[in-house]
Parts: sequence; C-alpha cells; structure tokens
Amino acid sequence: MRTRQLVVITSACLLLSATWAQTGAKPVAGQSLSVAASSANADSLLHGGPAAWNQIAVKHVALNRTPPLYDTDEPATLEISTVDVRLARVSKNLLVQLSWRDPTHDATTLAEVPNTPPETRFRKVQTETDDRFFDAAAIMFPAKPASGAIAPSLQMGDTEHPVEIYYWNATRGSMVMQAQGRGTTRRTGQNFMVNSAYQNGQWNVIFELPDLPAGTTVAFAVWNGSQKDRDGRKYFSVWQVLE
Amino acid sequence: MSKHQYAMLMDLNKCLGCQTCTIACKKLWTDRDGTGYMYWNNVETRPGLGYPRQWDRIGGGWKDGALQPSPLPTMDDYGHAWEYNYEQRLYEGKKQPVMPSPEPKSGVNWDEDVGGMNEDENYFFYLPRICNHCTHPACLEACPRKAIYKRDEDGIVVIDQDRCQGYRYCIKACPYKKIYFNEVTGKSEKCIFCYPRLEKGDVNACAAQCPGRLRFVGLLDDPESPVHKLVLVHKIALPLFPEKGTQPNVFYVPPFNPPKRENYGKSIQEDPRVPLDYLIYLFGPEAKDVITRLEAELNKTQEGGRSEALQLLIGRDAETRYHVRPQLVQIQL
Repeated sequence: MRTRQLVVITSACLLLSATWAQTGAKPVAGQSLSVAASSANADSLLHGGPAAWNQIAVKHVALNRTPPLYDTDEPATLEISTVDVRLARVSKNLLVQLSWRDPTHDATTLAEVPNTPPETRFRKVQTETDDRFFDAAAIMFPAKPASGAIAPSLQMGDTEHPVEIYYWNATRGSMVMQAQGRGTTRRTGQNFMVNSAYQNGQWNVIFELPDLPAGTTVAFAVWNGSQKDRDGRKYFSVWQVLE
Repeated sequence: MSKHQYAMLMDLNKCLGCQTCTIACKKLWTDRDGTGYMYWNNVETRPGLGYPRQWDRIGGGWKDGALQPSPLPTMDDYGHAWEYNYEQRLYEGKKQPVMPSPEPKSGVNWDEDVGGMNEDENYFFYLPRICNHCTHPACLEACPRKAIYKRDEDGIVVIDQDRCQGYRYCIKACPYKKIYFNEVTGKSEKCIFCYPRLEKGDVNACAAQCPGRLRFVGLLDDPESPVHKLVLVHKIALPLFPEKGTQPNVFYVPPFNPPKRENYGKSIQEDPRVPLDYLIYLFGPEAKDVITRLEAELNKTQEGGRSEALQLLIGRDAETRYHVRPQLVQIQL
C-alpha cells in the first residue's frame, strides 16, 4: 500500500514538474502570495514579535507530507497541515514570516565548544543524544530568474533550474544552500538573518531573504523533529508565486 | 567492485580482551569533541550484549536485495560517555575523590567476562570489532547524500564529512552498528581502516598495538597476503553474520580451542567449550566446516606433521601478519 502511495505521489510530482517544464505553464492560479510593501524598518519586523506582523495579510499555505522515501522509513502522519505565510518587502530585502502549529518543541541548546584544541582540555564536549532530530523550516526559490514561467522541480530543482534554499534549524541555526536536484543540496557557507520563537505550541520564524521580484516562485518546507524528520522526510508546499 | 580490497583477519583464539586496540584507536581517531562514546574499534565479551547493546538483534543489512529496517540505538544502548573531575582534585585543591560524571550505567564491554553457560560450565570469549568495510555496504546504499563511498583503490569505506548532513540513515542500515553520530559536528563517523597509515606502508593502529598478535592485514586479492591465504586458501576464517548480506571484509578464526575439559582423544566438536550453535549464530553454518578444518590442522601437528595454516596463525612477526603494499594500491588523487 505504502509503495503504491509512493509511486502515485512521486509520479504526480514528477508529472507536474514535467508539465511545467514542457509547457511553461504557470502554476495553478490561487497559489499566489501577496507581498506587503512595508515602511517599517527590517529590525522592527525581524525582532518586533508577532504584533509587528499583525497588519500584514496572511496566506494559509497547505502542507503535504512527503511519502516514505525508503523501504525502511517508518510511516508518518500529517500532523502539520498548513503554514501561515506573511511577506513584507523592506528596503532591499524580502522578509518572510512562517508560522505553524507544532505541539512538540524539538530544539535544544548544544554545549558550546571551547575555542581550544580538545587535547589541551580535561573535558571534551560530549554527544548527549544520538537519536534526536530538530524542528526546521526552509524557503526554496529559483537560483536564477525563471525564464518565462517555468518552475524548477519541487524536488530541489534540476540541472537546468538550480534552486537556492534558505534553511533554518531550531538548534543549528541558519544556512544558505544550493541544489540542482534531489540529493545535490550543498551548503554555500553563508548564513542569513533569522529570528525564531516558539510559544504556546507555535513556531514563528522570520527569514530575511534577498529581494525577489514579483512572479518568482517560492516553496516552503517544515520538518518536525519528533517525527524524526530530516532530509526529504518533511512537510512541503507546492510552488507559490510572489505577486 | 573496487580494484583491490584491504581486509583484516582476527584469530579469536588469541584475543586477551585487553582493549589495547580500543585505546590505540581511541587515542588516534576519537579523542575529540563529540566522540567520547565512539569506539571505532571495540572489544566485546561474547555471548553478551555487545556495543551498542543488542546491535546484533535490532536490524539493518540486506534481505532479498532490500535494506532492512532498524531503529537507531539510543545513548542508553551505548552508555553516556563520562568524564572525571580531575580539575577540582589536581588544580583546585578540593579533597573530594575523583569521580566520573554522569554516573556510569552502561558502556563499552559493560558485561565483561559474564559470558554464558554451556551446560554446567561458564564460557566466554572476546570479539574485537571494527567497521567491516563491506563489499556491498548497506550504509552506502542508505545515504541519500551519497556521502559514503568505497575507495576504488583499496575498498575502504569512508564518510565524506563535507557531504554528510547527519541524517543517520547509514547507522540504521549498518547491521553491525559501526557508524556513530557526532552531535557536536552534526555528522556521522566511522572506522577509516587507518587508510592514512596504510598509504604510508604502516599497518592499522589496532593491529600494530595488539599484544596478542591476533590481527592479520593485507589485500584480500593479493596471493601473498596472509589474509588471502587464511581466508581463501586455507578457508579457516569467516565474516560475522554473513546472512546480513553486506559481504564483510573482516574475518574471524572462530574460537575452538582448548576443548571443554582435559579430554584427550576426544574431538573438540564432541565436547566443545563454546557451543557450536553459538558459533553458527555468529559466523553462519560454515563455522562447523571451519572448526573441522582447524581440528584437522591441529591433529596434523600433534602427530608430528607441519601445518602451514597454523604456522601462519601463530604469526610470530609483523612480516608474517601484515602485508601492506601501498605500491599495489594506486591512489587516485
């Protein structure tokens, strides 16, 4: 049954990307995101808490659960069905607030590693736990301006359409990644500004992206640590178009 | 398939359980942050829980061409690495005794020398374990990042620390649970078969330091190497859990001697110290054939003859035990 689901959903994704790639058709109408032009400064939106975002229109974006990718994957249920997205263009940046309900707070503060060689210390920093995974979220968009209305493959882009991924992890922080297809994700070594808060069973995470022009496609992903999410085991949205 | 394959053979009849190999490996490779609980080389008492405990029963490996499921071992299964409060005793002048923290509740070879019962007699032996550098590695197949690769020149399986994202599918897939997650770096690590030493013509640290002289190292495909001779010519060594399907390249001479009692004239198989069923559990049904061959070699020498296999197993000097030939291994740079 699971194998059949995998085949059906994977085929659907591939078919969808292939259709876009071949026809250049626009993603389905209704999947557009309005972007507020905010006169507030970036700092107040990044660090001002949820109140600073209240005036900005929210879009509830549906999340899907990736099917089991490997034969040995444990099944996972759809625990997070939507992510709330708010966008604001501030000076030369695009600020994106992602909010989602997640009853389990899977994050920790790892012990700081002293700036001295381990062999000079009495104590090493130890691995506390080997089997925990942390909450995370990411925003993906084409690495180069899309030609026409062709969207890259949802599976981390493809060789013709590389993607940039702004990834945030509740424990390990932010990193910018690039990819040209599934399994090709690599870290660029760059970070980005991010502010995250977990309160009353809800994550609010604000990403500072470079300014993306109207018509850019963006997609969102959420990982739930308590569901052992990592890699392609996650929640994902289909492509959305910035207005 | 790699061009060559380094392999190791361990004669379990000679293992003292002294852990010198464990310490040699630890001092060389896993004396860093996040690696306290890692033993790329460990020696465990058999029968016993193993390290991590019950690793041999929780899954992984291959069956009918498909990877088999397995949970991740927990830190309780490994035992949390503990540190001692030397600072307060040595530098701060406090008089409390030096104590470990956190309180040790489990650890490597925690059930040392407990063993099992063979009818009315207790028995145990030691099983040293490193990564098996398998010909058909489940870890490599399981990694969605393609961070694990098998070196074409010598068959050593390594994890590219730049590509690894710490997803831990490899740990689940490895039926020997010989990959460890470093939470400090967020990446997984494993035995590298001391390839930097081999490339210089030095043997693996665990082998070099072994006072029992039980380890043999060489290319499996090199007819001059002792491993080739003992495994493929004399056929007196077997891999661990061959049914897991990964085709390990670490081989063991099963423990067979001495017999259970001073029972001269009686076959070892008639009165074994280690029950044959347990050896078959560890090494597969061929264990019986190997014991038969070993006993025949033993009988040959006891009757005044000469056994090339046993002479080789004695392994008096490093030249006999190791055949490290970097000149055969063309390293691709």
